[in-house]
Amino acid sequence: MQLTKKTQSKNIKQLLTVATCTLLGTCAQAEEFKDWKFDTALMYYGETDRVTATELIVSGTRVFDNDEVLNLKVTVDSLTGASANGAVAQPEVQTFTRPSGKGDFTVKAGDTPLDDTFKDTRLQLNGQWTQSLNSDYTASSGIHLSKEYDYLSLGLNGSISRDFNRKNTNISAGFAFSQDTFSPEGDIPIPFTQMLPKNENGTTSANRLKSSDDKKTFDLLFGLTQIINRQMVMQFNYSHSQVDGYLTDPFKIVSEVNQLGITQSQLYENRPDSRTKNSVFWQTKYHLSHSIIDISYRYFWDDWDIKSHTIDARFHVPLSTGYIEPHIRFYAQDAANFYQPFIVSSNPQASYISADYRVGEMTALTLGLKYGTTLQNNNELSFRIELYQQSPKSNGVEQPGVLKNIDLHPSIKAIIAQMSYSF
Amino acid sequence: MQTNMTRHFTVNLCPVGYIIQFHAMASPCEIIIESNDLELANTIAQLVTTETWRIEDKYSRYQKSSVCSQINKSNNSPIDIDKETFELLKFAEQCYQLSDGLFDITSGVLGKAWHFDGSGNIPTSTQVNQLLPFVGWDKVSYHEKSITLPESMEIDFGGLGKEYAVDKVCQLIRQHTNSSVLVNFGGDIAVTTPRKNNTPWTVGIDLQGIEQNKKVSISFTQGAIATSGDANRYLENNGKRYSHILNPQTGWPIEHSASSITVASSSCLNAGIMSTLAMLQGEEAEEFLTENEVKHWCFRE
Amino acid sequence: MVINLVKSINMRIHTKTLSLYALVIFSVLSSGCSSLGVEPWERNILAKKEMLLNSSPIDSSLDDHIYFSKESSSGGKSFAGGGCGCN
Repeated sequence: MQLTKKTQSKNIKQLLTVATCTLLGTCAQAEEFKDWKFDTALMYYGETDRVTATELIVSGTRVFDNDEVLNLKVTVDSLTGASANGAVAQPEVQTFTRPSGKGDFTVKAGDTPLDDTFKDTRLQLNGQWTQSLNSDYTASSGIHLSKEYDYLSLGLNGSISRDFNRKNTNISAGFAFSQDTFSPEGDIPIPFTQMLPKNENGTTSANRLKSSDDKKTFDLLFGLTQIINRQMVMQFNYSHSQVDGYLTDPFKIVSEVNQLGITQSQLYENRPDSRTKNSVFWQTKYHLSHSIIDISYRYFWDDWDIKSHTIDARFHVPLSTGYIEPHIRFYAQDAANFYQPFIVSSNPQASYISADYRVGEMTALTLGLKYGTTLQNNNELSFRIELYQQSPKSNGVEQPGVLKNIDLHPSIKAIIAQMSYSF
Repeated sequence: MQTNMTRHFTVNLCPVGYIIQFHAMASPCEIIIESNDLELANTIAQLVTTETWRIEDKYSRYQKSSVCSQINKSNNSPIDIDKETFELLKFAEQCYQLSDGLFDITSGVLGKAWHFDGSGNIPTSTQVNQLLPFVGWDKVSYHEKSITLPESMEIDFGGLGKEYAVDKVCQLIRQHTNSSVLVNFGGDIAVTTPRKNNTPWTVGIDLQGIEQNKKVSISFTQGAIATSGDANRYLENNGKRYSHILNPQTGWPIEHSASSITVASSSCLNAGIMSTLAMLQGEEAEEFLTENEVKHWCFRE
Repeated sequence: MVINLVKSINMRIHTKTLSLYALVIFSVLSSGCSSLGVEPWERNILAKKEMLLNSSPIDSSLDDHIYFSKESSSGGKSFAGGGCGCN
């Protein structure tokens, strides 16, 4: 009789549990045995006066006879609103060309220039297949496709993992590769050339390099998971990533100011065409008598001289009706070596400059709360709300002239609201 | 069996709260309630005994008026069944399927050849082979409203009756109180809900006959425990011990079966069937239970 | 204040050395882990789905996307690549 074969034994336990539930009329575990299990979520992200995004995810998972798992996921997101374009605020009204070259917009005195051209909808498809190779080894492989109006990303990944020590230890190694192509509206600008207002015939090809460019990303991920005791499990990951290609943001500019801090021109930014990233990550989950603590730390460093620390903690507290989970995340990053909030005309220029606050020094804090409950039909519903605040910081450069009285590093506050339903 | 004479219950104080004791399904039964409410204890006692004796009266093969006996006397004619019986038959069928035929509630007729009284009287192959045609769930036909059992075949709910009663009784208790209650029907045990401060319940498995005067203590806060064992039901012949776990396909006992297997699971039925399935694995009982990631205690001679 | 402390530590550590440290720690940890762990029947708590290291993969997916777009770091729990035009 085949009852002792590993692949069959999980079925016995499951089948028996289903049979018992049916007989007794209580099917708390029934959800495990449906063919397809779906997890869906709808999220709203809104920054004060800036970007808002809505994202919908539908993920379906199916477990086959020999414990093979197929996951298919569809993501749709829609972005609108304004994003800082990297230029500095000025004591009087400014006019900017839209990155596409078509049209322009004005910014009030003292306001951080925000470009609201970014209205885009993106569709992403992911497929992932996981199966065991023999009793100790598991392999997984997947593909992804992401498409938006001006961007296409295609990728694949693969990983293998092995259990040791009565499945108390697991080591894994994985790789991922993706090829992204970018065709921004208005074409790729020549770095450090001026962002020109549109001329009469609406053409701006003088400053355009080419219509599209691409980048390749290659990732490696090594992981070690260890069960410490009956209540605690830990994970350590090391990841290494190499990105090559067009890494500049064609929509971002750097303001060239004179000694008085008055903007003379707006120049397109330029970033290196390669980036090597590394991170080490540690996570622990510890089950107390009823609640669970989940805490993790990540240290990141790359060859742009960006270094960051991320600490994330969650506390899962079961309630009679479900659970609540408060969450806190603290993030701190150093500036990239080419970050400059502005260029002073008399200073010599570097080969790479960006005024994008996202590669500058900053700290960020997220506070969140999640509430989840199981409904009568055994499906799960949850709500999550998070407040996210980014506090960009100056890199210490002296702000000349009028810029002394302007806040060049305003903090950005965002609210995240999400509803999830699993069935 | 003079069941009516033994049908009474007692309610007494005990260190945890109240203990209800009565006799059912050929076993001493006890219900321990973590509560100081005497009225609650009496109510629970009434409800539990009524339900347990109802199940016994309906499914015991030893009672002439039971549904089980009716079916066994039917001589190939269809017998009407209700929803509860249909569900139990469906469950027995699922156990038959997932055990590849080793768990079979029609295997009781083999008891005509095998009498596990500790003696050396093992049957002959002929005796066993004569009974085999009357064993096999595949020969039974049933649907939602009726069952037809071929002549000379018998069904026996003994392999799941007590565990079923434990789980049903737990459901009943949960509807009446949030206090933690331990239900113990002759070693088939379940807890309705964890105790205050998550204090564990501690029970002892009696290994009388297997290891002298040895009792194993098990502590748990929720779930159920069931034991399959042959402590007193075996035959010994020519130095070989024959356990009472018979393979319904051959008619002979499973070789090298453990003497006693206790399994912990979420429900008593789960635990009971898993321990029976493990016993049916003979030598590979422990491996089977480990692979299924089920908490267990195995004892071998 | 934390940033300044972090900065001073960072300045003393060369990138390549850090990668080496990470790999060494990794191998030491893997070899020292044989004494830790539980028996199969002690996994009742660990088997709860809330105890999975990635117990809310959809939440992680959404958060990773937000932080990949708004910050400069990526990776950690899963692959560092983004696959969208946000950074």
